[in-house]
Amino acid sequence: MIGLRRPAPRRGGGPLAGDGRWALLFLAPTLLGLAVLSAGPILATLAISLTKWDLLTAPKLVGLTNYTALLTDDRFLKALRNTFFYTAVSVPLGLTLALGLAIALNQRIRGIAWIRTAYFLPVVTSTIAIALVWQWIYSPDSGLLNQATGLVGIPSQKWLSDPTLAMPAIIAMSIWQGLGTNVIIFLAGLQAIPSELLDAASVDGAGRWARFRNIALPLLTPAIFFTGVLALIDSFQVFDQIFVLSRPRPTDATITIVYFIYENGFKFFKMGYASAASWVLFLIVGVFSVVYFRSQDRWVHYQ
Amino acid sequence: MRALPASATSGLVPALDPGRYRARPTRARRLRALRRAFLIGLLIAGGLLMMAPFLWMISTSLKTRAEVFADSPSFLPLVPQWHNYPDMWNALPFGAFFVNSVKLAGLNTIGQLISCSMAAFAFAALRFRFRERLFALLLVTLIIPFQVVLVPNFVLYRLLPHPASASGNWIGTQEPLWVGAFLGGAFGTFLLRQFFLAIPRELSDAARVDGANPWHIYRQIYLPLAKPALATLGIFTFMWTWNDLIDPIIYLRDIPSFTLTAGLSLFQGQYVGRWPLLMAGALVSVIPMIVLFVIAQRQFVRGIAMTGIKG
Repeated sequence: MIGLRRPAPRRGGGPLAGDGRWALLFLAPTLLGLAVLSAGPILATLAISLTKWDLLTAPKLVGLTNYTALLTDDRFLKALRNTFFYTAVSVPLGLTLALGLAIALNQRIRGIAWIRTAYFLPVVTSTIAIALVWQWIYSPDSGLLNQATGLVGIPSQKWLSDPTLAMPAIIAMSIWQGLGTNVIIFLAGLQAIPSELLDAASVDGAGRWARFRNIALPLLTPAIFFTGVLALIDSFQVFDQIFVLSRPRPTDATITIVYFIYENGFKFFKMGYASAASWVLFLIVGVFSVVYFRSQDRWVHYQ
Repeated sequence: MRALPASATSGLVPALDPGRYRARPTRARRLRALRRAFLIGLLIAGGLLMMAPFLWMISTSLKTRAEVFADSPSFLPLVPQWHNYPDMWNALPFGAFFVNSVKLAGLNTIGQLISCSMAAFAFAALRFRFRERLFALLLVTLIIPFQVVLVPNFVLYRLLPHPASASGNWIGTQEPLWVGAFLGGAFGTFLLRQFFLAIPRELSDAARVDGANPWHIYRQIYLPLAKPALATLGIFTFMWTWNDLIDPIIYLRDIPSFTLTAGLSLFQGQYVGRWPLLMAGALVSVIPMIVLFVIAQRQFVRGIAMTGIKG
């Protein structure tokens, strides 16, 4: 036994123990990035949000003025409302559709790979190219959608400029584009379910729905939780669709928080105001993430 | 005991089978075939619905303007207007946009592969103080929307001097669109660390006994073994950069330095309502990603299933 003893581990143990200097070398790019591009700038955003700054003249400290101004800025409140509406509709609807599709696609049929590819293609294409086509589909004159609805006698609509239709139209496009990602995650989850479990339930007399409800669905909750996190964070950041579909400038019906940040920061050069809106976005995403992560004890079943 | 294989209970002993229709096999089979056909029909219809915007894009790109706005337009163009493509290509410097997109996507991919794999190696195979806390900090940045730091990043790049730029700083140059990729990233580091953790410790132990230092172990053991994970990260980084819109429109000023996404956005503003040309431009910009997807479909699907990366 004595002869087989491993060399005494250095501080902390492990084969490469105490490689502080090596770690510093390997982590140098990441540490720099954290300091100047991601973690550090979060604090910088907070600092800038307390100033009035147009980049040309020196920043002027104004305290919380930017935040109080946001609270009475109609356009910002609309942006908040639209972003919440977008999230509240697109996340549950997108996930439910993807789950149904994954279940339907989870079988051995010849040529199923082609069908799956069709569902996945929108994911890899840029939102601007996609949005250009959808702008054309939604076009009030001769657009595909108006032609289709015309066949069943529905009069032409201005899908993207009608205040009540614009956001639903943008949501429909976003769900269409994002479906493939969630379908693939759910498919992977479905394929990981041991078939013996389902067979056993079948022997016990469980019908299709009972097997799904009592076996497949609980086993899928980790995948649902995971896609939910991604969809939630993603939907709070919606920008490209708005930028392309609400040209030249979003109306109050479609402006979102990120567009508001873009507009104030990089069109009006109100750096302090844009930073305050950024910090509000950060807080919203933070609060939602914490609440969502806390909720998982109640409905996510890890094996 | 209940977990008998399905084959043991079906067919031979129908009386034991609780399935409602199985007692009468012919009707059951017909019903099942019907349901299957219905399902396949539904999936194909859904697939066509998913493809419809692409088909509409192709068809429109080959039409004349008059055809597009006709009262009852046909799905297919009467005479394919192939000249729409050169017309589109020459309307703006699309050749330059294409080169810029390839260049930036390539640089970002290289930068992420190098910097993320180095950090991932440190987190997976090295022991040092604050390792867990630093990794936790990195993970927190994963859920921060990058738009939150748009303003400070812009301010930072505005402070950096640039000899070849009209502004004298990095604004208006392509540098802000790729330099950051060499400074690591939470997502890539997380992905590669997961993969590195699965590499048996014995391999690096043995190399260490033979006198290899961490750099050798990283280059000669970890990187070669992590090729599938590196491929996944590379493909996704390429795709994200290729499809990125907000950064190019914020940082780029001169039209010849635009990416395809920024160029399309400009094109959209200048050619309002000229759908055949706009669709031709959109199609040209998505073809490289579609080709990449078809070639590397397995890596795409595995990457998403593994990590839930968003497209």
